[in-house]
Amino acid sequence: MNTLKRVFESPAVLTLIHYRVVVILIATLFLSVSLVPGLTEFRTLSLSLDRTATLGVVAVGLTVVLLMGKLDLSVGSTLALSGIATIGLQDQLGPFGAAVAGIVVGVLAGVLNGFLVVTLQINSLVATLASMIFLRALCHFLTDSNPISGDDPLFGLTVSRALGGTFSLRTYVFLIAILLLFIWLTYTVAGRRLYAVGSNEHAATASGIRSNRYLFGAFVFSGFTAGAAGVMQSLATNTGSPAFGEATALTAIAAVVIGGTRLEGGRGSALGTLGGVLVLAAITTTLEYESVPTYYQNIVTGSILLLLILLDRIASNSPRSALSLNSLLSFGKRDETPTEKKQEGKVP
Amino acid sequence: MTSAATLPPRVTEEKTANKILGWIALPVGILALLVIGSLLSEQFFTTRNLTNVLINMSIVGIIVVGMTFVFIVRGLADLSVPAMVAIGALLTLSLQPSLGSLVGALVGILAASAAGLINGLFIGYFRLNPVITTLATGTIVLGIAQAAVGGVIVYGDDPALQSFLTGRIILGIPTIVLIFLAVAVGGHLLLSQTIFGRWVYAAGSNPDATKASAVPLNFTKAAAFWMTATLSGFSGVLLALTLQTARPGIGTGYEFDAITAVVVGGVSLLGGFGNVPRAIGGLLLVTLLSNIMVLNGIPTASQGLVMGALIAGAVALDVYLRRRGGAA
Amino acid sequence: MKHVLRLGTLTAVGALALTGCGNDGNGNGAESAEGLEICYVAAAESHAYASPANAAFQEAAEEHGVHVTLLSQEFDAQTGTDQLRTCIGRNPDGIVLWPLDPQAYIPGLVEAQDADIPVVLINSPMDEDAEGLYTSFTGPDTYEQGVMAAEVMHEELGGEGQIVIIAGQAGNGTTIGRTDGFNNMLEELGSEIEVLQTVNADFDQQRALELSRDLISRHGDALDGVYANDDTMARGFVDAWTESGRELDDMPAIVGINGQQDAFAGIEEGYYTATIVQSPEEDGRLALETIVSAATGEEVDTRIPIPLTVVTQENVADEEPAF
Repeated sequence: MNTLKRVFESPAVLTLIHYRVVVILIATLFLSVSLVPGLTEFRTLSLSLDRTATLGVVAVGLTVVLLMGKLDLSVGSTLALSGIATIGLQDQLGPFGAAVAGIVVGVLAGVLNGFLVVTLQINSLVATLASMIFLRALCHFLTDSNPISGDDPLFGLTVSRALGGTFSLRTYVFLIAILLLFIWLTYTVAGRRLYAVGSNEHAATASGIRSNRYLFGAFVFSGFTAGAAGVMQSLATNTGSPAFGEATALTAIAAVVIGGTRLEGGRGSALGTLGGVLVLAAITTTLEYESVPTYYQNIVTGSILLLLILLDRIASNSPRSALSLNSLLSFGKRDETPTEKKQEGKVP
Repeated sequence: MTSAATLPPRVTEEKTANKILGWIALPVGILALLVIGSLLSEQFFTTRNLTNVLINMSIVGIIVVGMTFVFIVRGLADLSVPAMVAIGALLTLSLQPSLGSLVGALVGILAASAAGLINGLFIGYFRLNPVITTLATGTIVLGIAQAAVGGVIVYGDDPALQSFLTGRIILGIPTIVLIFLAVAVGGHLLLSQTIFGRWVYAAGSNPDATKASAVPLNFTKAAAFWMTATLSGFSGVLLALTLQTARPGIGTGYEFDAITAVVVGGVSLLGGFGNVPRAIGGLLLVTLLSNIMVLNGIPTASQGLVMGALIAGAVALDVYLRRRGGAA
Repeated sequence: MKHVLRLGTLTAVGALALTGCGNDGNGNGAESAEGLEICYVAAAESHAYASPANAAFQEAAEEHGVHVTLLSQEFDAQTGTDQLRTCIGRNPDGIVLWPLDPQAYIPGLVEAQDADIPVVLINSPMDEDAEGLYTSFTGPDTYEQGVMAAEVMHEELGGEGQIVIIAGQAGNGTTIGRTDGFNNMLEELGSEIEVLQTVNADFDQQRALELSRDLISRHGDALDGVYANDDTMARGFVDAWTESGRELDDMPAIVGINGQQDAFAGIEEGYYTATIVQSPEEDGRLALETIVSAATGEEVDTRIPIPLTVVTQENVADEEPAF
């Protein structure tokens, strides 16, 4: 136990733990590049990014919800519903009008979640579970469980095709969304208040921040991004399907958490989420290239997720001290650091 | 969360009316469904149909008992349930030819239980977030289960045990329902009559105060997750034995079914409050509702409209009553 | 495109040299097939039908000395549409796609066509809009399976009666094909068979068992037949029937699809009317051989079916269960 402790307390290891997201990202990218010939070719890179863009846009919205200490399980259903609106309303509103309608649907779903969580004070896990089930059923109800398709399959190609030999439109949307989120969270007052509300809602309220507005806004934002992702997905496939997005919510949450955002709130960043999304994309690309069955991919992804939250726990208090490491290794004892007490009281 | 800290502890007096309403809302809901069901369909209020409702509850019901402990101990939720169900079911039937049904079943439960220990260790002792931890362990365990059987259906060959479990031996009640009731009663007694049960409430209601008292917080939390995994494995074993087939996707959706039941039963995610009969009541309500909708020909995929509204409505009512109660 | 000569390819070449060009039909194709790069977007990897189909696909690929990259959609069409693009990006010699949605892959198919990559659809059809965008569609046809199931049911019930349909996952391509094929064929036959209720049991036996209990409560002895989108769910109904204290002899006509072992057993015992068997091995192998032909420039038919066999008591002894 003592040697273990000494290893963990060495400055080099602590630094590694501190920059764990970057370390994991570099490690996976390095493995990918060495295992997948041609990954560095621009075309491959562009396609990998295009593939991950939909998930990435969803993850951008989820980052904000998660760093406020809440969850949103309904993003997959929202994605499907706004996709159905985007395709289904094309005859009435034209392709552009329908795309706008798709985003509006996403925003409305976010408003529903905000209403449940902020106004009715329902725990976000349960509230968004309810809206997940409800919105999914609405998708089936509206389409009679049959996927619907648009008139012009080529219209959507602009979304997923590389623009002028570079990245696809949806990749740009994702990257710009990350950039905007970065600016918002880092350089604006509103962004910094998000962290304040996320780490301690009551203290934030006491210091004059309207916490509830920020909470409500976070859910609307998450609905907006899920809606935007649904619009892009449905245009790229020219299909609005009630079955789309079933695996999206949990994968996106995993990506955000791998990126260093804590489910307890108060911690998270745009660049971290970018890293988390890229880690998942790199793993998928590499393992698929090697034809490794999906269930092994799941084992790898699950293990990385577990490893990262464990490291996050070790590094949680102050990155340069081994205080939290002590509490980790001396499990069974009930003494804790004051910061941990605070976390224990918080439930997302 | 907001309400957790602003509300005084549950021990403070609530307005009697609200308290009563909180207690009778669930039974009234169940009664209302019984009346509505009978009005809408002749076949509803028959012994046969109501027995069916009980059988349909049993498999998820066993998981609900564990999930109740997770909720009360303020462990949020256990998302690894489908994986535990799957390894329980797959191991039972894959080992059946060589070791027999009972030994296979035992190994299945033990495997789920071992995975539950990992959940407990990480969540109880390392204080990792339960949602993300069980998401990760569930992904890993399910991946291992799939890798082990390569995705094919595992067939069982023990019709005797199958007909014993689904057969009606005592008072026309199927064995599987009796097993579920035994687990529910056991869980209820554990929670209401033992020191461990008191620890569970104490750990969930106020962690800071709990630490000052002699309650082993880490152990209690870990035990709740270990229990849920073990019961999920057991539930998977029963599924496999009653169906005599198993595949990796066998437990899909059970985590959300169990959470729905517990929540509709009025057990709070904020911890410290609720009991097993409430959660089972919630399950009964959900199962009755689904039964009535099928009996009246409502399309399966659209039933979520009602289910989603029910969850939100039940919890909103619960929160409302408690806020009113707390304001007194 | 591929410069890396893989160990697997080497051994496969060896095997090919030993067996010669054993595969009739593409004798000259097999020779130039060596080293071909095929991208295969499969339905799933962990599934009773898909797993053996994938295995047969891989095995046939090894025989031909073809390297396969297998991507699994895990029954998620959304994942699949993205994987199709990944495939195109790798610029393989051919793509095999298992469509899970009749429409969603069309933009991807357009891109494949632009990139001059032949595409073969395996197992499930796509909409008419997709015609001309792929080289060939091989394997069984979920719609056709529904049609055949309707024919059997129509015959068994003498053209009239009341039935329920236990369908798979709502919105899933297989569910839609098998259900629409069935309903449309009943109409075409002018059948007096009335579908009382359709439920979605997600291809899950336990779910089917639970729903069947309710269906039996509601319709009980009025039921003349049950059509399930697969044998797994049909078995759920059978269990619910016996559980309700009814006799196996009074069982409504049961028609399932897939040709599972337990369906065969039921047919032998006489309480199960029919299942439709298709061989997953044949399905996988045929798709691989077709894409190899297409990639080596041979002419291939746009529709290459594999035989679907309706298994009833008459021929149950002569047929093999699929899994």
